[in-house]
Amino acid sequence: MAEHLIGPAAEFPPGTHRVVRVRSLEVGVFNVAGRYYALPNVCTHQFGPLCEGTVNGTTACDAATGWRFAWVREGEIVTCPWHGLEFDITTGRCLANPRVRLRSYPVTVEDGQVKLIL
Amino acid sequence: MTDQVAERRGTEKLLIVDADVHVSDTPAALAPYCALPWRKSLEALAQTPARYLDIPGFAPSLKLDPPIPGGHAGRSVRTAAEMRAGLDALDIAVGILFPDNLLLFAPIPQIEYATALAEAYNRWLVEEWLQTEPGLYGALLACPQNPEASAREIARYAGHEKIVAVYLPTAGVNPLWGARKYDPILAAAQAAGLPVALHSVTLVSPAFPCQLDQFENHFARQVLSHSFAMQANLVSLMHTGVPARYPELKIVFTEAGVAWVPYMMWRLDKYHQEYRRMVPFLEKRPSEYMKERMWFATQPVEEPDDPADLVATIGLYDGADRTIFASDWPHHDFDHPKAILKLPLGAETKRKIMGENALALFNIPAPDRESAVG
Repeated sequence: MAEHLIGPAAEFPPGTHRVVRVRSLEVGVFNVAGRYYALPNVCTHQFGPLCEGTVNGTTACDAATGWRFAWVREGEIVTCPWHGLEFDITTGRCLANPRVRLRSYPVTVEDGQVKLIL
Repeated sequence: MTDQVAERRGTEKLLIVDADVHVSDTPAALAPYCALPWRKSLEALAQTPARYLDIPGFAPSLKLDPPIPGGHAGRSVRTAAEMRAGLDALDIAVGILFPDNLLLFAPIPQIEYATALAEAYNRWLVEEWLQTEPGLYGALLACPQNPEASAREIARYAGHEKIVAVYLPTAGVNPLWGARKYDPILAAAQAAGLPVALHSVTLVSPAFPCQLDQFENHFARQVLSHSFAMQANLVSLMHTGVPARYPELKIVFTEAGVAWVPYMMWRLDKYHQEYRRMVPFLEKRPSEYMKERMWFATQPVEEPDDPADLVATIGLYDGADRTIFASDWPHHDFDHPKAILKLPLGAETKRKIMGENALALFNIPAPDRESAVG
């Protein structure tokens, strides 16, 4: 386990994300509403660069929404640019198949610096 | 067959439930059960010389092929006693009855007539086929032309001990099942605790699968019609979220064999992960809904050179629990139970596919009589 400096938190505001390279590993680091998350930049599907995709919300439609389409979870979903698979940034789970879950890496903020722990 | 005979023949006792057999539903037979003025139409149609699955205004079809003498026998079953005897000869204890001619029901455009015809068929089915002989159960004919009336019809028969399913006429249905206009039918079936059963037939029509007229002969149309109809209707049911919106509804696919099932499972799952946000009502993968609440009837069962290939295919969709035997008796491409019994399946899987799955699915009490088959 080692800490890897990502940069000043002041330059990494909520709603942004970036892909960093640590040794041979590419990791997406996300600031979701002030909380940081990190996921591997590899889609579980065909190994596409997941974290280079857009961060967005998604649709929901169930009994709770009266079976009408709703827009939910704004800023919490990353979509793979290759085939559109959606992942929950906060859990690493694939929305279409929640049994598929990306590993996630801890991220800390110390002295105003964002650090990734690998 | 007695136990001794079964023993001598080296056969085992096995309960056989047949998810798809057909009754001869002629205009003449249905006319007395039909409300006016449409009874007059059926009486007029009764004067039309009978042709197999080809009666204008009743079983509308476009028959394109020249007749070629020879070929296999045309068969029809006209009474409950005849059906009982036919199934006994096949060692089948329980049969679920579907129509002949009204396989072509969906393209009938006159809404009031279609409604009356569906009601007539259901009355006739209950009174002529389900009263006397043991082991005969019926599927109510749903009327896609009039979903609200059809829902009332389903509610009227809910709880009838011999009505165990709702038949969704699939050939020529437009739009496909799954379209929201049919929601009342699905809601009524779910409320009645009745599975819905899709059943198609080879038909040249503008509805999917259309353009079957481009094929030179019925061989080609037969190969494609049922399986494409089942695949398209499965996709249609899935794309409007039917399994999620009707979480208790059980759905049965008939007369398309089973090998298409894993293909469609994989294909639906593949595009679900890509387009999930278009179908957010699907909270599970399509394959999971299929493995939980959809059943697939065997006939016309695929017959690969190596039967083990079919067994492997059945395994691909958890088929021990999802597959139900069907013969399609008395139709031209019927399967004898031995078509399944000869497969290298385990004894428990065989029991499930040949009878236990269907008994549980259709909520039919286990009959006293059991068939001994070899």
